[in-house]
Amino acid sequence: MLSRSIIGMGAVASTGRGVRPLFDNLCRGRTGRAELRGFDRTRFRAQHAYEVDDRPAEGRDVPARATALLIDAIGQAAADAGLGEDLSGVPILIGTGLRELRSLELWWREGTDLDDTGLHFGTALRERFNADVTHTFSNACSASLYALALGSDLLAEEGDHAPGTVVVAGVDVLTESMYGLLERVHPAPPDRVRPFDRDRTGVLMGDGAAAVVLSRDAGGRRAHARLRSVAVNCDAFHVTAPSPEGIAKAMRTAYDMAGVKPKDIDLVMLHGTGTLLNDEAEATAMADALGDAANGPLMTAIKSMTGHTSGASGLMGLVMGVTSLNEGRVPPTVGLEQPVEEAAEFRFVTGDAASASMNVAQLNAFGFGGINAVAIVEAAP
Amino acid sequence: MSVVISGVSVLIPGADGAKALAAGPEPGAGPVEPAALVGKKGLRYKDRATQLGYCLTSAALADAGLLGEDAMAVGGDIGVVVSSNYGNLDTVVRALDTLREGTVTATSPMDLPNASSNVIASSAAIRYGLRGPNLMVCNGATSGLDAVNWAVTMITAGRVDRVLVVGVEPDNDVVRRLLGGRHAVDGGAAVVLEDAGAARARGATVRAVLGRYVRTAGVGAVLERLAASGAPAPARWQLPDATPAGVGADLLPGVERAALPEHSGRGSGALGVLQCATAVGLFDEGGWGPVFAVCGTDEDDASAGLVLLAPPAPEAV
Repeated sequence: MLSRSIIGMGAVASTGRGVRPLFDNLCRGRTGRAELRGFDRTRFRAQHAYEVDDRPAEGRDVPARATALLIDAIGQAAADAGLGEDLSGVPILIGTGLRELRSLELWWREGTDLDDTGLHFGTALRERFNADVTHTFSNACSASLYALALGSDLLAEEGDHAPGTVVVAGVDVLTESMYGLLERVHPAPPDRVRPFDRDRTGVLMGDGAAAVVLSRDAGGRRAHARLRSVAVNCDAFHVTAPSPEGIAKAMRTAYDMAGVKPKDIDLVMLHGTGTLLNDEAEATAMADALGDAANGPLMTAIKSMTGHTSGASGLMGLVMGVTSLNEGRVPPTVGLEQPVEEAAEFRFVTGDAASASMNVAQLNAFGFGGINAVAIVEAAP
Repeated sequence: MSVVISGVSVLIPGADGAKALAAGPEPGAGPVEPAALVGKKGLRYKDRATQLGYCLTSAALADAGLLGEDAMAVGGDIGVVVSSNYGNLDTVVRALDTLREGTVTATSPMDLPNASSNVIASSAAIRYGLRGPNLMVCNGATSGLDAVNWAVTMITAGRVDRVLVVGVEPDNDVVRRLLGGRHAVDGGAAVVLEDAGAARARGATVRAVLGRYVRTAGVGAVLERLAASGAPAPARWQLPDATPAGVGADLLPGVERAALPEHSGRGSGALGVLQCATAVGLFDEGGWGPVFAVCGTDEDDASAGLVLLAPPAPEAV
């Protein structure tokens, strides 16, 4: 049975920097929603996003913001795990939806510097951490949980070359093209992210990065939690419309790999993007996979406060979910008033943060192209 | 447990198969025409990299004996790993230009899936019914060999028995500007990787056997690691994308060197998979190994190396 120790964590989002401050802000129901900070607002119907406020001047965008957030999150996780600053030889797996495509946009339109070594994150991670086993996966909105699956597979390898420690991270920042095309497909411009609510208007993007250090054994350090499984698959159905069958299959595979039953799940960190297509499909799949236990676990969707952090969002959910297990508190889904019919029997956390004693959490992440990833984590003994 | 190559496809100007690639792509050839290879249906609204990916997927599955008469994959749980660095850059800048020169309402909703860099991998899965793990690797110069290794990792971990690995790079104005005027290969290659036992069970022909993979800083260090791992001495060395500095003349003395010719353009994310296809082309012609494939020069963030071994002689019946 797979069991990997999570010995380091880091996170940064519009709602806070550092795992604990971010978690506390989410439990207070604080959102990072604000008017667009780095784009010309006159080009868009939607006017809001969940951006990290780190630009040198209001309204002026700069390249390599994704890289900066990624380095921040990895630095936090590595320090937390006691890895130090030299990560040569340590595999670093990065899940991202949009890589440094924002830097490409600024290069194309405004002439900032870029060459083809600046689209992935390896170049910057070599400079900052001397890292040389870096892998950038561009797997849409399930990217960081896909990266987690591969990191866990690496730790299962045998032989003298098999690593004992792996860093897994996720990162994304807004790109103008994705922000625009996402709002283009909504009938009315989205105003805020209200996952699973009947009156939701759609999704808005957010900036963020999260990182974890996974280890074959905790080596005497107290682990934050244990990773029990990550299942990945592909609907092979439609480029933008999710398939409840494919998602439910990923969930059942994750339960089987972890050796847990639906009734063992205490907490679900939902993908919950607030898009018109995702939430019903996710709720249908969730109800199918949980069966009789559908009203068992507490459920929440933190995108209601962080926005959709794309490729980072799966791992962001994991880091916050692990903190929930350890703290016995669950952040609310802000703005959720009337759940969609498919989710009517779920125990959503709304209003204030919930308090509960929990042992097992499920993390969901689904991406364009029907690429699904579901992870199961268990509180450290 | 070992992982083998059981199918291959190649599409670049001047080479339409592994043997032609191993012999060296012809200069002056015209571009690959996806509509002529897989038909026009379904190509509209797909970017060039995705169209090329369809062609490579179809041909590699057919070569491996995994394409049914309905033009769908036989047995759905096949994984997909695609490597491309330049795949959707054209869509991103086109949508951006439209936004900047008009407003969001002037953009096309059909561009939304293409704005996500994984569109090549997920589109191939949808068109050919590939329901296994689906991964898009955008990892710079080493990306193609990295993609092959991630497929091996997922097979070794027991996630999946078969994975289609595609390396593809389109050529267009954005790419040329990014490369300072050079062009990209505008095509690529695909290989079908299988658990050796699973390949044997369905009677597949083994075309190559995969050996050790390493990724570290510097071409010399990669070769040292491969040697230290007990890999047999190479018969041939597939070189990284050419750079002005090239690779050290003192490395692997006496070993035959081969590279994608200058006229083919930059291989980038397609290169590692093209190198694997070249090895299959050599082995298909009775050539022997091992072949060392190396991507990423000392000027890149790292280099990766992969050992490819000739298939074992067929057992006497």
